Amino acid sequence: MKKFLALVLVLALALSMTAIPAFAEDVEIPDKISIFIDGTVVTAENGQADFEKRWEELAEQRFGKHVDLVITQPDHAAYFDNLQQAFADPETWPDVCIMPTTYYSAYAAEGALWDMTDAWEASETKNSGRFHGDNTIEMLKIDGRLYGFSPAIGNGSVTYIKKAWLDAVGIEKVPTNWAEYTAMLDAFVNNDPDGDGQNDTYGLSAAGFIGPEAPYVNYLPEFYWDAYPSFYKDDEGVWHDGFTEEAMKGALERLHEGYEKKWLDPTTLTNGTSDVRNKFYDDTLGVFTYWAAKWATNLKTNLESNGHDGELIPIPPLAEAEPYFDRMPPAWCITEAADNPEGIFKVFIDTMLDGGDFQLLWTYGAQGWHWDTKAETVLGVTYEEGQFHMLENPNSPGTLYPANHIDPVLSLADFADPSYDHRADVVQPESIASEELFQQYSRAAQLVPTTEAMSNYNADLTTLKNTLIANVTMGELTYEQAMEKFEKDGGADWSKQIVDSLNALAK
Amino acid sequence: MTGTVPAVPKKNRRVLQRMKKYWGFYLMFIPVLAFVIVFHYMPMFGIRYAFTQYKLIKAPVFVGLDQFRKLFGMNNFWNAFRNTIELSVTKLLLTTFLSVVISLLLNEMISTKGKKLAQTIIYVPHFLSWVVTASVFQLILSPTNIGLVNSILINLGIVDQGIYFLGKSEWWRFSYYLINVWHDTGWGTIIFMATLTGIDPGIYEAGSIDGAGRWQKMWYITLPALANTIITVLILNLAKIMNLFESVFVLQNDAVMETSQVLQTYVYYQTFNSGAIPDYGFTTAIGLFRSIVGMTLMLICNFASHKVRGRGIM
Repeated sequence: MKKFLALVLVLALALSMTAIPAFAEDVEIPDKISIFIDGTVVTAENGQADFEKRWEELAEQRFGKHVDLVITQPDHAAYFDNLQQAFADPETWPDVCIMPTTYYSAYAAEGALWDMTDAWEASETKNSGRFHGDNTIEMLKIDGRLYGFSPAIGNGSVTYIKKAWLDAVGIEKVPTNWAEYTAMLDAFVNNDPDGDGQNDTYGLSAAGFIGPEAPYVNYLPEFYWDAYPSFYKDDEGVWHDGFTEEAMKGALERLHEGYEKKWLDPTTLTNGTSDVRNKFYDDTLGVFTYWAAKWATNLKTNLESNGHDGELIPIPPLAEAEPYFDRMPPAWCITEAADNPEGIFKVFIDTMLDGGDFQLLWTYGAQGWHWDTKAETVLGVTYEEGQFHMLENPNSPGTLYPANHIDPVLSLADFADPSYDHRADVVQPESIASEELFQQYSRAAQLVPTTEAMSNYNADLTTLKNTLIANVTMGELTYEQAMEKFEKDGGADWSKQIVDSLNALAK
Repeated sequence: MTGTVPAVPKKNRRVLQRMKKYWGFYLMFIPVLAFVIVFHYMPMFGIRYAFTQYKLIKAPVFVGLDQFRKLFGMNNFWNAFRNTIELSVTKLLLTTFLSVVISLLLNEMISTKGKKLAQTIIYVPHFLSWVVTASVFQLILSPTNIGLVNSILINLGIVDQGIYFLGKSEWWRFSYYLINVWHDTGWGTIIFMATLTGIDPGIYEAGSIDGAGRWQKMWYITLPALANTIITVLILNLAKIMNLFESVFVLQNDAVMETSQVLQTYVYYQTFNSGAIPDYGFTTAIGLFRSIVGMTLMLICNFASHKVRGRGIM
């Protein structure tokens, strides 16, 4: 008898360890799902109605019930303002929303987001064998709990160098360390790489010496190396403020040297992102750290349309620098207002990367509206029957529809049927190359939880840090003077209070 | 049930009779009244959030005067307050003074066509958004070879290297005032021009007969006639001096925050730069403080006007 009981117990234990929690099977399918989305999902003028109709058809086929998808999509630029207003009244909370990275942990901490950890563990997506985004999911976890899902990696920036400029200044080897990199910048400033007979070019630029949001250093990684001017958690789980550490001194000295020697465009401080892009396109700059994947193609085509050579070389991080930052993606969250979060997760979140028709819809849009496979000629290119192709966007004649919400290069799951994978049809080789390089040389950005001290002091602290970084870079202050001012103006105290609050939270 | 209906007081009866008689005017007034109530008075109930902690996703929690205590304890708040006053008052005095000067000059122009052309040219900048204005001046004041001002200064041998007008604290305010004068002065002349055209030409003729020259006529006739308008414009604009935002926001940058941070931009950064859900109680407290300061300044000016001129504008 004892042996039998022991056997039963062992079997039960073994089964409980291998089983997927019985979570997803018996949930009720919702009648309606209200979603609040930004402009990364197909917009009304670009055929959202067809997207919605197709999604509802697929849901009905899959779950045997009509699910009404109610979409609210404010203007992309004012998305978060509108989302906040929706949250201001419990009656207007959506069931599902795209939560911007900056506010994800704050809304989770306030209890506004449904904890989807168990649902995720039991999900078809996670257990499909096609999903390869565990790092992204881990990035989205707060104290081990998951409040949001992303179907794609957050992506990040890589450094592109103009091949024509390297050739013009006689540099054959792509720089791999600081000495080679600065020698190249020096040549770009002083050796007339654009061949107009004047030394009127600069090495690189950015929209400010420090980025406006995490991970902050991603547009000038060759200067920051291992310095991080905000809060990070070390391997032991202890929080620090990188601004107060020695690595920052080196970073500021390199930035100052770059500014003095005009490796950095003198108007970096006041540039907006579009200014930097335009300067890159009009051949004022030779180096640009910008998004991997489709931006590699955008940069190339814009250079070519401005009459310049479009060949760009994406480079790995310098030997002295840390890997590029893989930014935390905006997350699809189910709000606490949802009556049936398990059902919504199953129908809406767990189908997004189903490897089949739903994933196709989220990636390329609706067949017949955004893409097709019938024999036809689109923008002068003739396609045969069965050949996948995007269609012309009637709102922007002369251009094809872009991909839908999921960038096929950044997707976190493969299609179950390889014939659904149309990356090769729509993504240019340089985009794939830059993304592969990025993924090879990137690390995950950390999610910083929200605390009361952060709420009280972080805005002032960030303003002060950014001012000091600009002042030291432009030679208005030395590093030592900047740190004195940091102490005097309360920065050191604010920083300590926030670090302490983060460490208290970690305990 | 029996009883007597209370008689309508005589005064009220007169009001009712007047309303009946002029019902058309009252009808036309209703949309204006509704607009004022909905957009000017009802939002005032939002003042109560200044005494709460309110993060939108949860009901406001009453915290008494805590938000004001927190506010007054912050160094950056007082710096922003000081900057707001300095930038606004200087800007107001500069633009008003220059508007008066330009109005007087325009008034002296004999050619009507030339006058209209000049007026149109100086009004145009007002219609450019601040974002466009900032972009244009970033180019004009750029420290590189594309900057018009620096190119001229370098070619004239006044400087060796371009000055970063918008990136250096010592130059930022000068540039800010310059840009504001360019943007707003022309528009400010409209009200003064209207006053000038209303001055009785007979007074000028009388001045001429008495032997007054152009300068004396301007000093003894035109300027006194403009005085009331100048004071009215100053007082009305004083009420708005705490509202400085757009023009500063589009021109400020990391290097000049200490000189350029004003209350409205401070609220913006507190709301969107903390990485946490903004506390609208705190930002409403700043807004209420601004309103009180603005109202106090206006009352002081009105009082001063009473003392100096014997009448105010309110």
